[in-house]
Amino acid sequence: MIFDRESPGVRRFLGDLLRDDAAADEGTQETFVRAHHRLGTLEQASRLQGWLFGIARMVFLEQIRRKRRDAPLPEPEEDRFQLQADRGASPEAVLLSAESDRMLDGALADLSDERRSALLMRIDHGLGYGEIAAAMGWSLQKVKNEIHRARLQLRSRLAGYLEGGAR
Amino acid sequence: MTHLPVEDLEACALGELGATRLAEVEAHVAACADCARELAWLRAERTLLSRRPSPPTAHLWAGVATRLQHPRRRPRWAWRMAVASGVGAAAAAAVLVAMLRPKPLPLAPPAQSPIARSERGKRPPIDPKTLAALDRAEADYRNAAQTLEGEYARLRPSIDPELARRWDETLTRARAQLGESRAVAADDVNVRMRVLDGYAGYLRSLRDVLESEEASP
Repeated sequence: MIFDRESPGVRRFLGDLLRDDAAADEGTQETFVRAHHRLGTLEQASRLQGWLFGIARMVFLEQIRRKRRDAPLPEPEEDRFQLQADRGASPEAVLLSAESDRMLDGALADLSDERRSALLMRIDHGLGYGEIAAAMGWSLQKVKNEIHRARLQLRSRLAGYLEGGAR
Repeated sequence: MTHLPVEDLEACALGELGATRLAEVEAHVAACADCARELAWLRAERTLLSRRPSPPTAHLWAGVATRLQHPRRRPRWAWRMAVASGVGAAAAAAVLVAMLRPKPLPLAPPAQSPIARSERGKRPPIDPKTLAALDRAEADYRNAAQTLEGEYARLRPSIDPELARRWDETLTRARAQLGESRAVAADDVNVRMRVLDGYAGYLRSLRDVLESEEASP
């Protein structure tokens, strides 16, 4: 059954975007209700996961639009980490640090919603660049750029936490 | 040394490469410190992300099934809003067509009487069909606005007083802008179109209030 197979990934994705368990549960249900109604628009069964993530992303955007109705959306964070992305801490140190899972949570939260979506689709859920482009409504080049920037930002944050923690 | 494309290293970290390409990438990485470091980062990111636990979802199916069997009804005001928006768009299109339709060329220049010359500069009368489309759209917008205002009045007592005051100010501003446009509309098609735009903006403000208040616990 599609729900049994795909719902853990969709719920995990929405949980990472919304950072609110109740909202992620509700968003997961809404994603599958919409998917049921739109199943006829799925062109290839092999693209099911990307298609579902595209729906989940729309559900997410609607939820945050409602939440942020009174506050203007913040400008996307500038790439202020880009030049200092790889500043010494090793990936092995990041992996071995007892704090790394908690740090990862904070580092992901610092990414813009769009950048976080693209990075998670690729690294956490294994979607291909073409599927991500379709789900996000972006060009292939933009997907590559955003994932690259997200990665630099994430590494910078993780390295920064480690260096701060070592002092 | 030429470095590997990051997409290849990423595919390697995610276990997506075929045996041949994997062997090529591994051979390169063994001899290239930069690519080896990049691959180590990619693997670390993958490991960090994938070792997080996934929340259970089995309990969510019941809610999906219920909603498939009993779809939520759209609120009455949402239908009103949709109808008014559709009519407004149709009216705008009708007016545009009427304005762009080429007029038949006169066979000879009309002789101008002194009265006609004195009326030069006055706007030509609106085509009756255009006028009817504008009137119809405005009436629909007005009806939709009344329905939405009724819904807002119903919800208002349960809204936080400070928030309600801010909503009131927003709606009052939108109503004032609409009133100003309406006051100068007369028989000018462009101004009448702006009135429709004003109605659409006012309806959007009302919709935002209702959606946010209905969504709040």
